[in-house]
Amino acid sequence: MGAASVVAVGAQPPALFARAAEVAPPVDPDGRILVLVQLAGGNDGLNTVAPFDNDAYRRLRPSLALNRNAVHKLNDQLGLHPGMAGFKELFDDGALGIVQGVGYPNPNRSHFRSTDIWHTARPDNEDKRDGWLGRAFNVTAARRGGRTPAIALGTGRLPLALVSTRVTIPTVQSLKDYQLQLGQDSSTNQRKRAKLIRELAETPTPAESELAFLRRTAVTALDTAERLKTVTDNYRPATSYPLNGLGQRLKTVAQLIQAGLEAQVYYVSLGGFDTHADQEAAHTALVTEVSSALHAFHRDLKAHGLGRRVLAATFSEFGRRVKENGSLGTDHGAASQMFLIGDAIRGGLHGAHPNLDKLDQGDLIHHTDFRRVYATLLEKWLGWPAKPALVGNFEPLDVI
Amino acid sequence: MSKPTGLLSPRGETGWTSRDATHLLWRTQFGASAHEIKRATTEGLAKTVNRLLKDQPETEEFRTVEPLLRSAALDSGNIDNLKAWWLHRMHYTANPLRERLALFWHNHFATSNDKVNDVAAMAAQNDLLRRESLGSFRRLLHGMAKDPAMLIWLDGNANRKRHANENFAREVMELFSLGEGNYSETDIKQAARAFTGWHVRKGQFWFNRAQHDFTDKTLFGVTRNLDGSDVVELCLAHKSCPRFLAFKLLRAFVLEQPTAAQVGALAARIREHNFEMTPIMRKLLTSKLFYSPTNRHALIKSPLQLVLGAFRALGGRPDLSKVAPLLAQLGQDIMAPPTVKGWEGGRLWITSATLLQRNNFAAALLSNQLGRIDTSRGVVDQFAELLLARDLPASRKRLAGYLKEAEGDPEERLRGVLHLITTMPEYQLT
Repeated sequence: MGAASVVAVGAQPPALFARAAEVAPPVDPDGRILVLVQLAGGNDGLNTVAPFDNDAYRRLRPSLALNRNAVHKLNDQLGLHPGMAGFKELFDDGALGIVQGVGYPNPNRSHFRSTDIWHTARPDNEDKRDGWLGRAFNVTAARRGGRTPAIALGTGRLPLALVSTRVTIPTVQSLKDYQLQLGQDSSTNQRKRAKLIRELAETPTPAESELAFLRRTAVTALDTAERLKTVTDNYRPATSYPLNGLGQRLKTVAQLIQAGLEAQVYYVSLGGFDTHADQEAAHTALVTEVSSALHAFHRDLKAHGLGRRVLAATFSEFGRRVKENGSLGTDHGAASQMFLIGDAIRGGLHGAHPNLDKLDQGDLIHHTDFRRVYATLLEKWLGWPAKPALVGNFEPLDVI
Repeated sequence: MSKPTGLLSPRGETGWTSRDATHLLWRTQFGASAHEIKRATTEGLAKTVNRLLKDQPETEEFRTVEPLLRSAALDSGNIDNLKAWWLHRMHYTANPLRERLALFWHNHFATSNDKVNDVAAMAAQNDLLRRESLGSFRRLLHGMAKDPAMLIWLDGNANRKRHANENFAREVMELFSLGEGNYSETDIKQAARAFTGWHVRKGQFWFNRAQHDFTDKTLFGVTRNLDGSDVVELCLAHKSCPRFLAFKLLRAFVLEQPTAAQVGALAARIREHNFEMTPIMRKLLTSKLFYSPTNRHALIKSPLQLVLGAFRALGGRPDLSKVAPLLAQLGQDIMAPPTVKGWEGGRLWITSATLLQRNNFAAALLSNQLGRIDTSRGVVDQFAELLLARDLPASRKRLAGYLKEAEGDPEERLRGVLHLITTMPEYQLT
């Protein structure tokens, strides 16, 4: 008998939400929430927080370097991209923390492998069975009494970071569409079938297998659909959200948090950061979207008294090469920054900007392992043990 | 005495049942009708596989409608029309394995019109995928390196003598031939120089001499003035190439987690057959491994298999203009894969949201909202066998119970049963 089947025997169907409410402890109204924002494709960190007067920066980026008069200055050396007025406001309010020089040893420059590394938090292991948060869900399952620890928003597939061997995390694309449709015959028949669909899905499966996975997911889907029925459609945000994809997804997150859903982790993603050619316009649009969406999100939560309960964190699989390429773009690089947004964090710049005169194969060298940021989010924010999630000891940072 | 080839030893004809035939057809077509299963059961393994591999004459209707759909797509310049054309091919062709493999290669050389933005180029690339679907991977890889849609997709025109762009060179190794970890960053930089000047002009491949780097490059121990074709040949000659391809073929057609020994066995056949797909597929589809009980009902259906499969099994004529957007919702927007890595498939098809949508597709299908299906004939066991092809006594009992107790006329109740079957987790598997 392999390890997989042992896992399967221990795996409970995630009897989430309504049915679990009888046995689960009540949802903590002050519980902390983490919103993870993936910037997929490799964000050009160097043109996000730019060392605008640095000689090497201006020399290696003759076309793409940001102008000192256009950036939102954070100090006399660093400035936010001109499109990030929202972030500048958050920074001035102490609600934006910038962890600089984040990465990992022997950086991988493949999107797919590096994304997997950020999701699994295991640079030295290609095992993709679970992600860093997924492992954290396993060890905290008991205290949740079966309620879902997380919801992924608007993504086509479940992010690997949330994949767990025991708990299936729901993915919600739109609240409106998230319901089981039963056809057009009599309501008696439809009720009968709704009951049977659940019974047929819940049939026990002896060993871990694709079928066991499908059954778990089916039960999660049916439970989530039940739970989301109670989330009303008349949410009124305190601020207007930008009409971009990230803004609208974060608005839905705010709506779910407001409705008192029990998830402690929300996951949203924005793609398109792979700016190999003609970077300027595309990157401006992207960082403006990030900045305006998270700014609105923070303002909305603050107005609802949730500013200290919610922390948003961004990450990307890598930064980009310091030297621009011949197509007015940048190629895959290494170290970059992570943003933290919320009223409970220590705002400001954390750690030095990576040295542009000392590069590794043309890329910035990290000084802070990303797993230290993860350890911070797990231990100091969510109060979850970091070691089993990160498969090792990583010292948390002093940013919360 | 077990040679490595023993892992792919032939199954033979003995004990060939309708369930074996169902397994073969679901894995090589987009679903299977009762008629097709009956024919494959009668004809046996070898003859059925031969039919799947050899060009079959298309019906007169197909020969009339298919070119009309294609020229309509090209004339309109609307990619949705080209998607509908391909879906039409998948559903109505007499050569379904050709389309399955064209889709396999589309996933392998995943190119999205979202960036290419050229319907004619996407159609031309699709033709290439189909032409070599059961042909030669060698020709296909060479063809892709000069394919206009691919060159647009991976920034070919940005790859210039003094400013090599690594995008295509990286993917040709990482995703198209060797797999991650089997080459170095230096290899990519060298290969990128070999592809400089491989550009597109007026929708055609164009060797831009002025932008090609004619100096020496070193790749995998070979140093000379390499060009793009040399890089393709060096990749094909690399020991990782047949293994990489073997792994992907096994995952697409046989099992989710191939072992190193299984990959090695198929890789040896790929090398032996010099990347010719027809003998490779024959070996695979007639092997014991393919029919092993542990590999039955072991793969999660792609949205295409799920949706077209249901129509094929239930004898329906899908409204293809509604099917493409539905597939996109379910996560398989053909000609617009999410990244150059394509759809990873397997468990990644399934989230609680897509599973709910798969169930809602079943409800819409059986309410005739997506095209007409015919359920007037047939009984529960027949449909359960057609759609699930496995023993599920407890579940079948529940289905029979519903048929007896539900309201409405017999057909309405039967449709209710079909709705239940097509929402069972078992139905998601093939």
